[in-house]
Amino acid sequence: MPQPSELLQGTLDLLILRTLALEPMHGWGISQRIQQGSKDVLQVGQGSLYPALHRLEAKGWIRSQWATSDNNRRARFYSLTRAGKKRLETELAHWQRISGAIALILERI
Amino acid sequence: MLKRFFFGWRSLLVGHSRSEVDEELRFHIEKQIEANVAAGMAREEAHRQAMIAFGGVEGAREACHQQRPLSLLETSWYDIRYGLRGFRRGPMFTVTAILTLMIGIGTTAAVFSVVDRVLFRPLPYAGPSRLVSVGLVAPISPQEFVLGAWYYDWRDHQTPFENLTSTAGAGPCDLTERNPARLNCAAVEWNFLPTLGIGPMLGRNFTADEDRPNAPSVVLISYDLWRSRYGRNPAIIGRMTSLDGQPARVIGVLPKDFEFPTLEQVDILGPQQLDEAAQRKASPGALMLAFARLKPGVTIEQARAALQPQFQQALRLAPPQFRKEIHLMVRSLRDRQVHDARLAAWVLLAAVIAVLLIACANVASLLLARAAARERELAVRSALGASRTRLIRQTLTESLMLALAGAIAGGLLAGLLLRSFVAIAPEGLPFLQRAHLDLRITFFTIAASVICGLFFGMLPALHRPNAEALAGRAPAGIQHHRLRQSLVIVQIAVSLILLTCAGLLLRSFWKLRHQPLGMRAGSVVTASISLGAEQYPKPEQQLAFMLQLQARLRRLPGVNVLAVSDSLPPGGWHHDHILAAMRVAGRPLPAEGTGGTVAWRWVTADYFRTLSIPIVEGRLFSNLDESSNAHFMIVSKLLAERLFPGQNPIGRQVQPGLEGPWYTVVGVAGNVKNGGLAGDDEPEYYRLRRNRPDDWSRDSAVILQTSLPPSAMAGWVRAEIAALDPTLPIKLQTMNQRVSELAGRPRFEAALLGLFALVGVLLAAIGIYGVIAFMVAQRTQEIGVRMALGATRADILQLMLASGARLIAIGAAVGLVASLLIARTMASLLFGVGPADPVAFAAVTVLLMGVAIVATWIPARSAAKVDPLIALRYQ
Repeated sequence: MPQPSELLQGTLDLLILRTLALEPMHGWGISQRIQQGSKDVLQVGQGSLYPALHRLEAKGWIRSQWATSDNNRRARFYSLTRAGKKRLETELAHWQRISGAIALILERI
Repeated sequence: MLKRFFFGWRSLLVGHSRSEVDEELRFHIEKQIEANVAAGMAREEAHRQAMIAFGGVEGAREACHQQRPLSLLETSWYDIRYGLRGFRRGPMFTVTAILTLMIGIGTTAAVFSVVDRVLFRPLPYAGPSRLVSVGLVAPISPQEFVLGAWYYDWRDHQTPFENLTSTAGAGPCDLTERNPARLNCAAVEWNFLPTLGIGPMLGRNFTADEDRPNAPSVVLISYDLWRSRYGRNPAIIGRMTSLDGQPARVIGVLPKDFEFPTLEQVDILGPQQLDEAAQRKASPGALMLAFARLKPGVTIEQARAALQPQFQQALRLAPPQFRKEIHLMVRSLRDRQVHDARLAAWVLLAAVIAVLLIACANVASLLLARAAARERELAVRSALGASRTRLIRQTLTESLMLALAGAIAGGLLAGLLLRSFVAIAPEGLPFLQRAHLDLRITFFTIAASVICGLFFGMLPALHRPNAEALAGRAPAGIQHHRLRQSLVIVQIAVSLILLTCAGLLLRSFWKLRHQPLGMRAGSVVTASISLGAEQYPKPEQQLAFMLQLQARLRRLPGVNVLAVSDSLPPGGWHHDHILAAMRVAGRPLPAEGTGGTVAWRWVTADYFRTLSIPIVEGRLFSNLDESSNAHFMIVSKLLAERLFPGQNPIGRQVQPGLEGPWYTVVGVAGNVKNGGLAGDDEPEYYRLRRNRPDDWSRDSAVILQTSLPPSAMAGWVRAEIAALDPTLPIKLQTMNQRVSELAGRPRFEAALLGLFALVGVLLAAIGIYGVIAFMVAQRTQEIGVRMALGATRADILQLMLASGARLIAIGAAVGLVASLLIARTMASLLFGVGPADPVAFAAVTVLLMGVAIVATWIPARSAAKVDPLIALRYQ
């Protein structure tokens, strides 16, 4: 099994926002979704996931609510706010510009 | 929406609680364990792997918390706890700061409460700022008055006032119903209460018709009388009572906060019932006081100008020799009430503000020193990411905590001080008895302390600590040190001003108490008696009583000699009239000028021996004179010089008051103080009180000279008087008590100012000690180097003393110059001492310099004791 790659700086916020755009989710769910979605390439370090969640909430992009999860346990579910949706769009556009630019350079050389 | 709003506020205030984060993290780990178990791991191994995968739980938790900006409440709480820890680490700093604030705030609040009642309190009338006192001032009366002969013309023709009203003033009267009582009654014009803008709380005011002569008598009673005598019974309205034997109907009750404009106590208010027509024709007519309400927009100056025609008319009615010495007076009611207390009140207020200033400078100095010492700590916090606002908030919180603690302690001290002021205050300082700490004053206190703390607390936080401070090598707080030095200079200067003012007052008090009185006050007992109008209506009865009393008192052991007069020196009431009203036989009356006032008393023959007043010319009254048909007088030296300059006064005939009998001058007595201790001496003469009813009145003062302790004598005298008439009100005092009572006001002023000056000096000494001690600590390394290079302990001591002495010298110089200017304003409070009195100035300068040098010397000596090895390694 290859070592999971380190996340590129600043992309964690984008991944979280993108994941939450599908449906409200708890922290564990988010980490699983990112891991599965990237086919185990990206692994979110839990020590950085939760601080990131709290930071995003403090910025008002996501909000949290306590609810019962699948096996009847209390868990904190995060969901995207209106401001969060906007943020996701700008982050996406930004990412595409950057990755496109990087791809261009890599292809030329 | 509402929920979101609420949630937002909740998170702003408290953030996410710790347990919520814990629960969230726990949930994650358990999920991971489940996943691991599902993947086929053993339970224990699953747990272990989950923990490894997660990383540090504690770190994640802290990281979560740090992601959010701290809530207001939380940061404040952190700041408070941090501040408290800091205070606990430096208890000396904390205690000194709080004590200093306590003294500054406590004295300020207490004195402000007193002064507030004198200078700023609202008068209990409607629109008090438009109320004025109107009248003429003449040498005879220091306060303005009006006379019936012209008052009514003024009232009818004046233009600047909405209303003008008059009162005959307050005086004793007897309530002659069941349980008779001696009360104070005031007679006023019918529009008196409406002019003041107040009305009775119960019943009605009297009408213009009831203010006519011979109208049926009606009265308003005070709230206190209504409460104490009539048990707040509303049925009192309309009831008949009896006043000085005359029936009177109670028609109203005055409001609870009613105050007679002259501040005299008034139990009963009745109509004057003066005959206007008769008054207009009379000369000079009834003596009254007038109060008026200015029309809106009219100033006092305009009113004075507008009254000129009336004033000129009144002047024409006055005897010609008076005219030059009569002035028109229009002043605010408040000015009339505080009269001469005003300057004293301002001086007190200024003194206490000076103390507050010194205290503030001290606290500032303390905070600055602390800030300099904490520069490194602030630099570390700043390097660790504390924002500038965060640092400022921290400093502010600490300053506020100190200020609040100081305010609370100061409030307690203020209450205590105020109570002792009231206890030691002499009578005659208006309103002092009713002074109390109120909400405004409490607020003032807290505001003063907070501003104090905030301003200086801010300074260190404002500039961002630099990296050098972090290393601890920076010449920490050079600017702070400059600031602290200037603070010390200000402190020294202000305390010197305080000290000189106090010194001047103390010197003047000492001179007041040690001036020659012209008589011997020791071993003299006095008893003032006022015979009741009911029991002793006729002079014959009054004479009989006094003769009987004298006979009884003479039989007492220890009575050397005794006399009876109708008034007592050196102050208080006595008869007086103008000098121009003394007709000397064989000489025309002076055409112009009043010559000032002359005091006089009725005395029995032994008056001069009893008080040891020397006779400088002629002879004493003899017992033969007492039974003579002729009238005799003794004049004071001052009067003899005025009346008979360069002539022999003995045997001359004088008719005082321009009417009545002629008196023969038999002797000239030494001058005796008669205008109070500080007042100017008036020329004086003594009429012999013969054993004839015409010479006696209801008021008498018995004076005894005794070889026993005067205080023991007093009890016997009281018993003798009570044996004759147990209901007689008497006032027993030794002459020394009387004199010391007269000095009460200056003593109070000198004591208060002295107290403030001492507090100021103490605080200034603490201030300079702090600065030098701090300087020593800062320069420890330098001292070490100097000593290593061969400086002796004496050199170091000298070095440190010199820096202190420089501050002291500058401060003292500034203070002396300022004192010279300031002391001039209190010249009228001084007696026998100039405002630039060299003795007072020299004494206080030496005192202050001495204290300041000791305060410098203590830390300087400890600097000299420093071990060079330790000093070199310091920090």
